[in-house]
Amino acid sequence: MSLRLAGATYRYAGAGRPALVAVDLEVAAGAVVGVVGANESGKTTLCLVAAGLAPATIGGELTGTVEVDELHTSRQRPHELAQRCGVLFQNPSTQLSGTTGSVWEEIGFGPRNLGLSVEETVHRVDEAMRVVGIAALAERDPARLSGGQAQLVALASVLAMHPRYLILDEPTSQLDPGGTELVGDALADLAQRTGAGVLLVEHKTDLLDRVADRVVVLDAGRIVERGEARSLLGDARLPGWGVDPPARARLERAADAAGVELPEAVA
Amino acid sequence: MTASVPAFVLRPASGAYRGLNPATKLVIALCEAVVAFGIRGWTGPIAVLAVVLVCGVAARIGRAFIPFLLATIPLTASILLVNTFLYPGATDTIVVLGPLRPTWTGLEVATQATLRVVAFAMSVALLGLTTPFDQLIADLERRGMGRRVAFVVGATLRMVPRVAERAREITDAQRARGLDTQGRAWRRVRGVLPLAGPLVFGALTDVEEQTMALEARGFSAPGGRTVLRTFPDSAAQRSLRWLLAAGTVLALVASIVGALRFLP
Amino acid sequence: MSPAPGMVLPDEAARELGARGGVALATNELGFTYPEGTEALRGVSLEIGAGDLVAIVGQNGSGKSTLVRHFNGLLRATRGSVSVGGEPVDRQHVADLAARVGIVFQNPDRQIFSSRVQAEVAFGARNAGLAGDDVEGRVHACLRLVGLEEQARTNPYDLGYSRRKLLATASVLAMGTPGLVLDEPTTGQDLRGVRLIRALIDLLHEMGRTVIAISHDMRFVAEVFPRVIVMQGGRVVLDGPPETVFAEASWPTLASTYLRPPLAATLGARLGLGSTPTEDRLIGALAQRPPGTSPGEDGSPPPGG
Repeated sequence: MSLRLAGATYRYAGAGRPALVAVDLEVAAGAVVGVVGANESGKTTLCLVAAGLAPATIGGELTGTVEVDELHTSRQRPHELAQRCGVLFQNPSTQLSGTTGSVWEEIGFGPRNLGLSVEETVHRVDEAMRVVGIAALAERDPARLSGGQAQLVALASVLAMHPRYLILDEPTSQLDPGGTELVGDALADLAQRTGAGVLLVEHKTDLLDRVADRVVVLDAGRIVERGEARSLLGDARLPGWGVDPPARARLERAADAAGVELPEAVA
Repeated sequence: MTASVPAFVLRPASGAYRGLNPATKLVIALCEAVVAFGIRGWTGPIAVLAVVLVCGVAARIGRAFIPFLLATIPLTASILLVNTFLYPGATDTIVVLGPLRPTWTGLEVATQATLRVVAFAMSVALLGLTTPFDQLIADLERRGMGRRVAFVVGATLRMVPRVAERAREITDAQRARGLDTQGRAWRRVRGVLPLAGPLVFGALTDVEEQTMALEARGFSAPGGRTVLRTFPDSAAQRSLRWLLAAGTVLALVASIVGALRFLP
Repeated sequence: MSPAPGMVLPDEAARELGARGGVALATNELGFTYPEGTEALRGVSLEIGAGDLVAIVGQNGSGKSTLVRHFNGLLRATRGSVSVGGEPVDRQHVADLAARVGIVFQNPDRQIFSSRVQAEVAFGARNAGLAGDDVEGRVHACLRLVGLEEQARTNPYDLGYSRRKLLATASVLAMGTPGLVLDEPTTGQDLRGVRLIRALIDLLHEMGRTVIAISHDMRFVAEVFPRVIVMQGGRVVLDGPPETVFAEASWPTLASTYLRPPLAATLGARLGLGSTPTEDRLIGALAQRPPGTSPGEDGSPPPGG
């Protein structure tokens, strides 16, 4: 069972060139796959296509296939897809429903839409708040949260849907280092514990170094390299693709260049 | 111990009037509005005012009525002035003040009209002060109103503080770029686009993402949404609602056909 | 560091980006409470000299953004005092202060209103009092600095979010203010974007401008800023150069405010090399270590000899 793109080429409505070209990608259950690349290399488009939102909700042209657990995304209804693929975009303020008066109710928005029992709804909300560490925000008005807090609430709201696959576009962009670490650990734990598959777009390669199993590099809409996370993140070609390598890789290279031996404490 | 929906979400209402089911309070308000404007003569508005007063006392509203009263002043002031001084065909002048000839007929008509407006405003106040809007929407949704309508109403309600907050952020950002928001009027006119632009563009570009985010949270799933809050209802209240509705319609019809001429 | 491609060289910059020189900023027991009652600042006393390069770090809600809004008058102290250019801000309007301290806010979409990139930047230039050809020169210089000169006629909303952030930066830069505050300049930027920002900061520093950055990126902070101010709960808890702020002695304070020192700092401490907040310093310290020292020692001299 996996989230699989095969030969996916996608062009936005009215665009001259495709934003994604011949993408083959598989996110297995329980795996964390990182996506890196320069801005405008197609990372956000990849998220839209993998989640089935493109072309279903935003139009455009897709050739190739996108399957979630062997079901074509084009043949599923949006709410069915939503339970299989949870997706989170960069801008927290658009991710929140704007109709709820408290963070608790905001996180419960998804489960309620699905018509789950009251007990199950309560359970999912409490669990999501605990996993993301925001139980203290339960009574707060979602409209008056800081960017980082809103981002955490949006993540919890998606987790409450218990999706089998999580597609996250820079979920830590507004978080402080502690928050980033917490989210990274939560995602790795989720993948391991529940078998969720995670597709994680990030600039913070240090985070991917810690939690990703595999990483793919996007450049101008194509996957130009893929591999096991720690080895690919040490690849010297990353800066050429607009990607800042993780600290340990930079240190290893700098140490090599200076002819200094770096103790294994780094790795 | 199983966890349950927290109190700040349930927010149970208490008290004689407030504890009524939201639908009951809504029906009461609607009937009051119809009676206030639809029944000829003084009886209509006075009856409504009496009922609202009693309910208001039961709900312990007190001084919160005042802003609603104040809000009616522009309208009632103009009604009073226009009718008292300019009522066509009236001849029972109160006093002659140069070209102005206020009449008793005009004053009487004006007073009655004012009472109607005030009665209406008070019934709105009674509903608004005893029934949080999202409670009302939640109850109506449970009765079958549909999640889309509930969403639109809920989002609209919350839109005002959100837009106000966004407008504040935009104003800050533009003032920080030297936009003069406190200077001469003509300069401030030039500032309209830098202030309105981000507000509008931001709202438009956000809509697509918001739609996707809603879908991602199962918004279009079939079936009813989970009901977290139930508001107590009773056979007595149901009967009351039907009685009130039927009675109001009857009274209205009677008034229109002239059967209520005996009322003052 | 050598100029990145497309970067304007200092001599031209003086002509095209406005005057050289910075502005001094100071606060004395500054306190600020929001109308709803949140006490965001609880007695902050700081002095920032003209031409200084300072980073302000701290977790969400520590008061960083609230603090900088006092430097251009968007917020007025409820307690204590603030001075810009040596004069108290009380007597200065926002419009006056905005000409001395520019702030690039975190969300570019709250600011962008033009339908063309160049018009957005020109707005800032005109507010600085430029006219005619001078505006064009300033606009091109600023766009070149943020790598958007090819997109001068593009609609800002056809750019991605991170490029719009660069555009917002350019448009505030176009005002030529002696002081500049950057709120999260590297968030969401790819490698090229981060390099542009760093080159920009280097250039402004060389021009003597006062530059303040709020950031979550500890590596960026350690490598670029000679002074780091750590805030927590509306107060300053650490203030000094990166060697001090990211040294082992400060780690408990950092941890209590959800910050992490850069990897170079933690490694250096673990290897007994002293305070090495940047990767260059760490490598340098390793290179200077006498051969034969095994890793993991606490810095005591190797056995024998």
